[in-house]
Amino acid sequence: MVLIELKDVVKEYSRETILNDVNLEIDEGDMYGIIGQSGSGKTTLLNMITGFIPPSKGLVLYHSRATGVAHDLADHLPKIKKQIGFTPQHNSFYPKLTIKENILHFGRLYGLKKETLLSNAKAILQVTHLWEHKDKLAEHLSEGMQRRLDIACSLVHKPTILVLDEPTADLDPVLQKEILALLQDVNKQGVTIVIASHNLESIDTLCNKVAVIHKGKVHTHGTIEEVKKPFFKEHFTITMLPGVNKEQIIHNLQALPIDKIVDQGKHLVIYPRNIEKTVTSLLRLIKEENLYLNDMDMRRPSLNEIFEAITKQP
Amino acid sequence: MRSLFLLTSKNLKLLIRAKSSALIVVFAPLLLMLIIGLSYDTSTTTINVGIHAPALTDDVNAVIALLQEKDFKVVTYDQTIDDCVQDIKSGFVHTCINLPESLKVESNTPKEVTFYLDPSRINLVWMIQDTLQSKFNFKAQQISQEISANILSLLAMSKQTVQEKSTALQTAKTQTASASGSTETVKTSLGTLDATTTTVNYDKTVLTTAATDLKLASENITKASAAVDNANISSSDKNAIKSLLDEADNSIDKALVLVDGTDTGSIRGLIESLEIDIGLAYQKLTAIAETLTSSTSSLSSAQQTLTEATATLESTITALNNLQTSLEANKITEASTIAVPIVTKIEKVGEEKTFLNYLFPTLLTIVVMFTSLLLGTTLVMMEKNSPAFMRNFFIPLRQTTFVAATYLTTIILIVIQILIILGVSLAFLQDSWSVFPLLFVILLIAASIFTFLGMMIGYAFTSEETGVLASLSLGSVFLFLSGAILPLESSSPLVRDLTAYNPFVLIEKLLREVFLFNNSFEVIWVDGVIVIGYAVVLFFAILIAESLLQKHLVHRFMKHHHKLHRQTDKQNKNDV
Repeated sequence: MVLIELKDVVKEYSRETILNDVNLEIDEGDMYGIIGQSGSGKTTLLNMITGFIPPSKGLVLYHSRATGVAHDLADHLPKIKKQIGFTPQHNSFYPKLTIKENILHFGRLYGLKKETLLSNAKAILQVTHLWEHKDKLAEHLSEGMQRRLDIACSLVHKPTILVLDEPTADLDPVLQKEILALLQDVNKQGVTIVIASHNLESIDTLCNKVAVIHKGKVHTHGTIEEVKKPFFKEHFTITMLPGVNKEQIIHNLQALPIDKIVDQGKHLVIYPRNIEKTVTSLLRLIKEENLYLNDMDMRRPSLNEIFEAITKQP
Repeated sequence: MRSLFLLTSKNLKLLIRAKSSALIVVFAPLLLMLIIGLSYDTSTTTINVGIHAPALTDDVNAVIALLQEKDFKVVTYDQTIDDCVQDIKSGFVHTCINLPESLKVESNTPKEVTFYLDPSRINLVWMIQDTLQSKFNFKAQQISQEISANILSLLAMSKQTVQEKSTALQTAKTQTASASGSTETVKTSLGTLDATTTTVNYDKTVLTTAATDLKLASENITKASAAVDNANISSSDKNAIKSLLDEADNSIDKALVLVDGTDTGSIRGLIESLEIDIGLAYQKLTAIAETLTSSTSSLSSAQQTLTEATATLESTITALNNLQTSLEANKITEASTIAVPIVTKIEKVGEEKTFLNYLFPTLLTIVVMFTSLLLGTTLVMMEKNSPAFMRNFFIPLRQTTFVAATYLTTIILIVIQILIILGVSLAFLQDSWSVFPLLFVILLIAASIFTFLGMMIGYAFTSEETGVLASLSLGSVFLFLSGAILPLESSSPLVRDLTAYNPFVLIEKLLREVFLFNNSFEVIWVDGVIVIGYAVVLFFAILIAESLLQKHLVHRFMKHHHKLHRQTDKQNKNDV
């Protein structure tokens, strides 16, 4: 069921078009990734989805879960705000308040009843693994905990949609993983998640749908598979783990129809020009030359690679 | 309402937990009050006064003692006044006084006392001028009193002399008038005297005729004698007739001699003697007549002079009488009254209060103004710069609630401060507790005005430092344009007009009226309505400003964080 729908959305700032002709549908339960280069308009798109800025043209519609009726966000902002949880790029809580105080403060401002609030707060703090630290001042928390608190603050009123702008930015890989796991948990609880991120790897593993923003337009969108499919032929990679004969293998590979070979030390990554021809030629070469390989793996293109391909397009 | 309470309690928590803010909120007003109280305390002075005089005479020492009485520290300069002036420049002394050796005024040249002041230290100049001049005015008054006393005693003497001489002149005038009358009498008497004479010429031809007749008679006798001789008459008869004729002729001769003789016994001689005597008498009478004429003229002249003298005496007496009347009309007979004809007496309107009482309204206004301005700015800045600023946008609350929460937080803190200040003040101002409730209300209105102004600054400025600086500057402008530090009378008319609209002035005026003069609300309501009007207008201005700025601020906030994020991202990539 469609939850959010963007119809012909255009955003202009001082006669400069930031986003043009955006048409997206986000279904209930989706984990929707929005990727794009810096300055491509990801944050602007999120701001329009959250109602922070209105579109210059077009509509942002929110469909009622109960009736399915679409409501224009601009007309029903106060009501729809309650359905949205927003986690901006930076932490957005009061550092001088404790975890519990922050959660309760924002929960109360959403008008939750005391029992509901306490129950929600406990649940969200447990999910975010902050329950044990609830009495600590926010400013004394680690980076990862602060990020989790930020997400917890966005979830305390049990929104149906959680919008996150670069939730893993500036975090080390361990913390990134922690946050992504948290988001997966949240999503599993039925919250539709919209994430804008530079971290394409995390989008690739986390999201079921993605929209690629390029040059102010939605270049492509859909499920990850749908987005990747057009790039399968040209963006397959073959990773080899050669033995002592690495130099010989590289020499022999020069004759094959490949775009480039990247020497990653132990591994060689081959970018085939035509996957079928390259694989056939490679297998023949191994057999004819009696080459020894410790390991070989063929990989479909990553979102990162697809993104690079898209952004290279004129 | 619940949200308002939540936001307010959150603001209070944040303020209390931020140590610097808590310090500002709790201690700053008390510290401010203490500092200002000490600054305005003029009960003791530590002003160094340099004195130079040609010699340390009694007069100079009296001045020094006078200054020391007032707690001035006196430094004497023996050489020149220039040394003292140099010390003003170096700050060792605050003022120099060049005194004459003696302060006694012995001629029309007044004694000159010169003050040297550093005009750049305006407050000090006024204070020194005020204090020292009052002391010197007192000394000048003493001298003036002495001089006036001398003049008054001379005037009293003159009055007495005039009175005495006026009586003498009156006598003289009477005598002169009498003399003038006598002169008139004499003149009249003299006028009655007729000394006129005519020249008398006696006809002596009678004598000649008589002598001729006598001679003819004698000749006729001679002829008769001859006729007798010739007559036929007896000789006897002849003789007898002749003897008779002879006798007759003798008698005629004698008569002739008697009539026309030359000796003094003759009638001619007698007549000639008479003629001579009469001539002499004529001369004398002529002289007398001339003398009479001249005497009469002199008497007339004397009378005129006497009349003029009388008139002069009359006018002199009148003048003296007028002078005496004028002298008597002068009711000021006390030298002190002449020396100080107008005594400045300051009647204090309202009850007699201590220095703290007079300072109290200003102090309260200053504390409430600065605290409210700073709190308003700090709270808005705290919220604006808080990481949670953006999240507030997504909370389904009206912005009015956030504005109201900021206002309420400030008011709560100000109320606490006012209660602390008024509570502490009760220890010193027990008599004034009855006006404290109205004072409290006025201070709340003041706090509202200045909080809104502080909030405006908070919205307008980007960083907390510049915001606080702007608040302090605005507070200082209000303070400087209030007359609390510099007298407004010395400023331009435009500034004076503008001052009437200064909220600091209005609030201070209200506090003064209530605190010092115990005026009720009925008396102060006009000013009260004006300040409430200020508060209401500012509240709406805040709402408008907030609605205009909110999105702009959130955009800027997001942009700022986005930029930071990109920089970090770039840095991470470079590191990799």
